[in-house]
Amino acid sequence: MRGDAEMIVRLAEKDFDEAVANVHNYSTTYVKIANSKIDSVVEIHDASADLFLSSKKRVFFTNIEKLNKDEVLSRIKKAGRAINSIKPKEDYFGIAEGNFKYARSSYDKKLINYSNDIAIKIAEDAISGAMKSGADKIAGMVSVGSIKSQLATSKGISNESSSSFIRLSLRAFRGNIPFQSIIAAKSLNKINAEKFGSDVGRFPSEVREKKRLSGGTYDIIYMPQPAGLLLENVNSMACIGSIENGSYLANRIGKEVANEGLSIYDDGLLAEGINSSPYDAEGYPTQRTPIIKDGILRSYLHNFSTAKKYKTKSTGNAGLVMPSPNTMVLEHKEKLKDLETLISETRKGILITNTWYTRFSNYLTGEFSTVPRDMAVYIENGELKFAIGSTESSFVGIRISDNMLRMLKSITTTAGSTVQTSSWDAGNDYYFVPNVFVEKVKVTTA
Amino acid sequence: MIADGHYEDIAESALKVAGKDSDYAEVYLEDDSAFSFAIEQGMLNGSASAKKLGMRIRLIRDGCLYTISTNRVDKGSIKELVSRFRIFKGKKTSLSDEKRVNADYTVKEKKSVDDESMLKSLLEIDKLMSSIKYIAFRGVYGGYDLSSTYFANTEGSVVRSRIPIVNAFVNFIVKDKDTRQRFMQFGGSGGYEVFKVSDIEKRISEEAKNIHSLLEKGRELSSTELSKIRNVVISPEISGIAVHESVGHPNEADRVFGREAAQAGESYINKDNLGMRIGSDAVTIIDDPTIKNSYGYFEYDDEGVKARPKVIVDKGIQNELLVNREFAYDMGIKSNASARSSAYLYEPIVRMSNTYLKPGSSSLDELIEEAGNGIYIKSFTEWNIDDTRSFARYQGNEAYIIRRGSIEEPVKNYKLEVKTLDFWKAVSAVGKDFALYLGECGKGEPMQGVPVTMGGGSALLKFG
Repeated sequence: MRGDAEMIVRLAEKDFDEAVANVHNYSTTYVKIANSKIDSVVEIHDASADLFLSSKKRVFFTNIEKLNKDEVLSRIKKAGRAINSIKPKEDYFGIAEGNFKYARSSYDKKLINYSNDIAIKIAEDAISGAMKSGADKIAGMVSVGSIKSQLATSKGISNESSSSFIRLSLRAFRGNIPFQSIIAAKSLNKINAEKFGSDVGRFPSEVREKKRLSGGTYDIIYMPQPAGLLLENVNSMACIGSIENGSYLANRIGKEVANEGLSIYDDGLLAEGINSSPYDAEGYPTQRTPIIKDGILRSYLHNFSTAKKYKTKSTGNAGLVMPSPNTMVLEHKEKLKDLETLISETRKGILITNTWYTRFSNYLTGEFSTVPRDMAVYIENGELKFAIGSTESSFVGIRISDNMLRMLKSITTTAGSTVQTSSWDAGNDYYFVPNVFVEKVKVTTA
Repeated sequence: MIADGHYEDIAESALKVAGKDSDYAEVYLEDDSAFSFAIEQGMLNGSASAKKLGMRIRLIRDGCLYTISTNRVDKGSIKELVSRFRIFKGKKTSLSDEKRVNADYTVKEKKSVDDESMLKSLLEIDKLMSSIKYIAFRGVYGGYDLSSTYFANTEGSVVRSRIPIVNAFVNFIVKDKDTRQRFMQFGGSGGYEVFKVSDIEKRISEEAKNIHSLLEKGRELSSTELSKIRNVVISPEISGIAVHESVGHPNEADRVFGREAAQAGESYINKDNLGMRIGSDAVTIIDDPTIKNSYGYFEYDDEGVKARPKVIVDKGIQNELLVNREFAYDMGIKSNASARSSAYLYEPIVRMSNTYLKPGSSSLDELIEEAGNGIYIKSFTEWNIDDTRSFARYQGNEAYIIRRGSIEEPVKNYKLEVKTLDFWKAVSAVGKDFALYLGECGKGEPMQGVPVTMGGGSALLKFG
């Protein structure tokens, strides 16, 4: 496959100033769980090349599926005709060049040519664990897959990497109280599906009573899944494209934007990070970039071209035209031992286990609201009191309204270990986050 | 229909391979060509083209539903992939009996679209926005996508389609003492006849002007003022988002019966309350894929079933769930052609198309006059809804005070936060105006975004 990417670049550089070919070959099996059974299996196999081309500051993307010489030449000629009709991108300054050293990528060999039996067994174990722990109903998805990638550029970069992943998403119901969690890893031996099923199935049993909660101001404990889903927005809004287009982080470098204990990183090198890669989409080495360090906004995210535009260095976040985040990591100087300790220290608050539909009314100011989707529990004087059920036929029935800058300044502590998780809304984005405590958050209900 | 008949031969061969030893099998071949542009602040930041050809095979063997997709469309690869099938202990899936069809349909472009002319159109829109002094940021993202498909199943149905889509997404920020962002989408299925630059420019100009006026003259209402609001008039844009989120989604059978429980969620509708009252007698809500040149248009769904309008809510009463063949079988009914996939890569699942509040007989002026005092919400910004679609919020972008039957000063940040059934039961009259707004609807895992529209008439809501 390495030859495919190099062949494409060799053919393209005759007609263009620059070329970058990213060849991907991926396979994923999805085993869907619904009504406590395996519902269906979907397998997706896709192999193609993404080709970036530039000529006299004109930039163009195309995708090639058939990687034979005639097809590639035909697509390159077509791109040549298209690129002549477009305007130069005056703020484009070229693809990465240099003698780079890369970290090694890690993957599980067992998953590179996996059989569907693996995914089906994980689903069976997860269902078994959840039902044995007393869940009334379980739903979810097991995804198992592998990606083989190769990159070549007209600046002499040529690389290959492989990666593998398992993702297990489970939602357990006890009556009308649901709880959802997602775990993910690169290696098969890092996932104990039966135990995870049991943990998810057991969780909603802790609080069985459901009561209405009035709107007001509460301290909130976000479990890792909702904390990551909300705060990975910081990484998106720190990308230079967002800064140029409208972001609450614009014009704040060097300023205090968060609680002094809080640091948020963009990390492309995490050993277990599903989205880790030794290099970005133009072959620049990935790194760990502090976006917020000890409450101060330190860096925006760049590719090689945007870094040149702003007279700084690439952070290894290409996207060739506009940078994109790798993986968000949240750390805090204040760390309590575990979730139970954090709950015990909360006087009047809410435990939020999952949210969705986070929507911004204004990205420039950071105003947003989000909806707790699964079990939310009212906490009083250090004890879990009741599951919130504030709207008839809704699982929770409350809404959280906040502002990202206010939220960042109000994260006073975290608890428990950092876990790699994701969310249905987040798609293939993952984040490494502990439980997060946010002071004085506005909560509304109908 | 797909340019190279060679691939239909492979599809037919794949159907034989998949159908062997199976209760049911189907193939879906898609040939897709697209180009797109991204223009921000007058700069062409992205130009792209893509050509994709791939195949999806779905089969049911011993009740196990199995879907495979690949862009390695050759006989050897297909055979190898089908051999990966494994029996699992789980749901025993069957499909409803449906009429065998042999159909071939195409959306003709009255005015054809090419990359040069599309770029020119988008640059014209950008130029217009650049001339509006209070627009501080502008972005135009648009393109064209031509999808040709071939569907065949072991029951003898064959459907060929060719649907071109042209669309653009506009994002701008109006700045004065405060800022407001606005996102808008334009287009449909067809050629330039569904993408009239002059109409788009007119809407952008009007909205930018109104948002600027909101920033200059608008104010937030006090909690006392908010507590007195009983009557709310909503525009077709608000009707649309409410119809889609709080009625269309909860009427999707896969939500109702738990198949999307860990993905797109559940529903306030369940097997025991089918036929429930959702709204007042004034509320009739329809999902209709057959609206010509619409963004959500199709004549046959992705299971080869003939499409038709579906009356989801009839005079306030829940009437018809959106179903595919799987849930039609489970319910003992016929499919109403609601199976869609966003591409050959993904499984077809229950989806909306063009969903709207059926217009009534009142003019907007009459609704405003009838409201007397209240709020008129013309467009929205932030919105969201809970898992069962019981509890939503729609925040006004443009919103106005209604005083003594007239639209008066603009209002900032008005939030209509309301239970779904309270919202629809409060509808006392629906306007005779009608508009559909474009959107991408996300569902499933992996997430599939399909083109839809949502809208209908304006409406007057009276909250007791």
